[in-house]
Amino acid sequence: MTTRLSPALIAVAALVYIFLVGPLIIVIGASLSDTTYLTFPPQGLSLRWFEKIFEITAFRRTIVTSLQLAFLATGLALLIGIPAAYALNRYRIQLPSWLSTVFVLPILVPEIVLGFSLLKSVAVGASFPIFLSLLIGHTLLVLPYCVRVISASLASFDFSIEEAAISLGSPPAKTFFTIVLPNVRAGVVAAFILAFITSINDVSTSLFLTGPGVSTLPIQILAHVEQFFDPTIASVSVLLMFLTVAVMAIVERTLGLTFLAK
Amino acid sequence: MFKRYTGWTLALPATLLVALFLVLPVAATIGTTFVDAKGVLAPYVTFFSSGFRRTVLWRTLEVSLITTAISLVLGFLTAFVVSRAPGRLKSILIIAAVFPLLTGVVVRSFAWLIILGKNGILNNFLVGIGLTDEPFSMLYTQGSVIVAMVYLFTPLMILTLVGVLENIPEDVIQASASLGASPSGTFRQVIFPLAVPGLIVGAVLVFTGSFTSYATPQLLGGERQMMMGTFLYQRAMVNFDWVGASTIAAIMVVITVAVVLAMTRIAKRLNPMTT
Amino acid sequence: MTQALDINDLTAHYGSTKVLEDLSLSVGASELVSLLGASGCGKTTTLRLIAGFLEPTEGTIRLGGRDLTRLPAHKRDIGLVFQNYALFPHLTVLENVAFGLKQRGVASGERDKRARAMLDRVGLSVLAERLPGALSGGQKQRVALARALVIEPPLLMFDEPLSNLDAKLRVDMRVEIRQLQRANGTTSVYVTHDQEEAFSISDRVAIMNAGRIMQFDTPEVLYQRPTNAFVARFVGFENLIPLRTVARDGEMVTVEAAGGAQLTLSQERFGPIPDAFTLATRPDGLAVTPEAGADGLPATLGLRTYLGRAYQYQCETAAGHLVANGALSAPLEPGGTARLVPVPDQCCVLAGTEL
Repeated sequence: MTTRLSPALIAVAALVYIFLVGPLIIVIGASLSDTTYLTFPPQGLSLRWFEKIFEITAFRRTIVTSLQLAFLATGLALLIGIPAAYALNRYRIQLPSWLSTVFVLPILVPEIVLGFSLLKSVAVGASFPIFLSLLIGHTLLVLPYCVRVISASLASFDFSIEEAAISLGSPPAKTFFTIVLPNVRAGVVAAFILAFITSINDVSTSLFLTGPGVSTLPIQILAHVEQFFDPTIASVSVLLMFLTVAVMAIVERTLGLTFLAK
Repeated sequence: MFKRYTGWTLALPATLLVALFLVLPVAATIGTTFVDAKGVLAPYVTFFSSGFRRTVLWRTLEVSLITTAISLVLGFLTAFVVSRAPGRLKSILIIAAVFPLLTGVVVRSFAWLIILGKNGILNNFLVGIGLTDEPFSMLYTQGSVIVAMVYLFTPLMILTLVGVLENIPEDVIQASASLGASPSGTFRQVIFPLAVPGLIVGAVLVFTGSFTSYATPQLLGGERQMMMGTFLYQRAMVNFDWVGASTIAAIMVVITVAVVLAMTRIAKRLNPMTT
Repeated sequence: MTQALDINDLTAHYGSTKVLEDLSLSVGASELVSLLGASGCGKTTTLRLIAGFLEPTEGTIRLGGRDLTRLPAHKRDIGLVFQNYALFPHLTVLENVAFGLKQRGVASGERDKRARAMLDRVGLSVLAERLPGALSGGQKQRVALARALVIEPPLLMFDEPLSNLDAKLRVDMRVEIRQLQRANGTTSVYVTHDQEEAFSISDRVAIMNAGRIMQFDTPEVLYQRPTNAFVARFVGFENLIPLRTVARDGEMVTVEAAGGAQLTLSQERFGPIPDAFTLATRPDGLAVTPEAGADGLPATLGLRTYLGRAYQYQCETAAGHLVANGALSAPLEPGGTARLVPVPDQCCVLAGTEL
């Protein structure tokens, strides 16, 4: 690099990074504390607060719900988002230009407003079951990531490749699966991860849609913090982080994380 | 292959989902604020005639603007360093900025409870070095909310700006230097103007994110630092005042959409690459 | 295997814009026909209509008696070679070539054998296990060619197949394509914007403009006898001079150009001359002579450039700006006056004076 950076600038960047990473280290440290109150640095190391998570039924249940929701919502969003992204790129002349904006709406509309509106019309208005309402909310929430990330992949896909396959006798639907999809795989995986992480960490939309017996992990954490201030919270937070990292690691194994740098 | 409606057919399920479960419900929410029995704009009159509610709106705007300003400065300076870092270090720095984003809002806000609490790390430290005998109450203040929000959104700003700054070719910077500009002159006169569109995008992301946030003001602001998000929740789920909550929702939508549209337009006008 | 292609009155629209109008074209069995024209002339649209990627609003496409017009693209059995090769990036070279055979249900052993044999013919058998990303442009285009040929299609189509290659390779590849096409006797349609490429490779060329075929003939006829101003200009007849007949005396016809200058042309040498026509010439078709009495258009000479085999003059005449060549032995000074005399063998008489 030819540009010389001033030491002051480097110092600022270093401090910002300490500011960014520090709090996460503190949470991890606090989760390992042997004390009954939250503290850092940890006093005595112990994993007992992690065991505690699984003794609390509410946590156990919400972890399962959150995972189910994240997988289902991501799967559904991909199922309808991939065809939409494909249509936006392949049939651009057929479709009105505002259509791509439609798929960004769930990001544009404040999440908390979406959650409240779904509560009024879907959960209460149409008496949808809690889990179904949550699933609808989460699918909407993650749909923009699926459509946009996969659209970006498709934008650099040369559709004459698809035409070549069709001209060689491969029917269009089959061509999509054997030729198009394998070439936007990286986009699909990136979309999956973004969507999964968005869903599993969501607060604002879920807030209104959880109900008796059905809640998500982040909402349960929020509720717990207001009543108790013990290291369980730290350990469950670390567990949530760990779940995220686990998903990333699986992807890192299969595809590498380079797409994140883009 | 040919069919004129293939595109629509493929886009239909996703379009329907958004139309049925987002556009309609949100439109209904906003709609209820205009059909109130007490008069057409009665819910808005109620909102804006209440000093408390005006304060909530004002506080939310203030916190969001301050958060945006701080993240802009920190994000820009950091992103500049990252964008000029050598390859391997750069990837590490980018991943280090991505990682907090992968962690949820609740966990990250909670971290600041541990840091800023009465028996928190910061107070222990301050008492420890003898700066104070009594721990400060730092939680449930505007400051604590802003610190947590800056923490929340700075990674987003860094990542947005690294992308923009990386696209500024090195030879433009060299050209500026060859014409006699000092490094700080180049920074102010070349790099900054070229980064303006990215700064606007980042600012919009941070502002709308802060403006509509819930978990952070809930955990670190509490009742005392009520913001639009927490207030909406309180009206809806504690007071069961759905018209009031819908009014807050409508105001949030209008302000968010207005900011996004206005800034997008400004970004387009200011983009030196398109003019 | 070889079949003739018949296109009748094909009309196509993009949205509400008409991009092709009543296009008819017959390609004989084993013939290679090029569609030549600038971008937007409708040549690629025609190819995509034949391939089945676009649907015509009117007209029919028949291949060896089979009506293709409403047949889905994947059932048309047409080999296609694309400008950007369009190789499947996730499949090996061999898998790319075998792809079409797989769609046709050819058993894997046989498939492999035939794909390898085809790769051998294009000289790439050593690269069979590579992914396309690792190949050079020329190698990619050979794979694309092998992939299209291996299915032994009754019709082969090329969409600007050489435009991504460098100049030297372009010439080599077009010879190779022509040889393979000849050897297999496959009826072919070749789309290009490059005149030299079209003329060198084709049996016949259709020059297209604004969704219509302007002239369809052998390269020799197109080059020497364009029938309209568009084609004339396209193949390098830079001078188009509108003329009016004022007197006829047997074989000799006196014509007048804009500005009143008169010429006498022999029908024996220029062919039949109508009352109003356009005389089209390349710079070589106008001889520059300083003789004031010569039977030519009076001109003032402008810039002179050296071409190696002649001098070229930018000339101003009452009939407009013309470009003419003069002998190396007698260079003329810019600023002087001269006469521009049409050379019979190198002029075309085009009906009408519309340019």
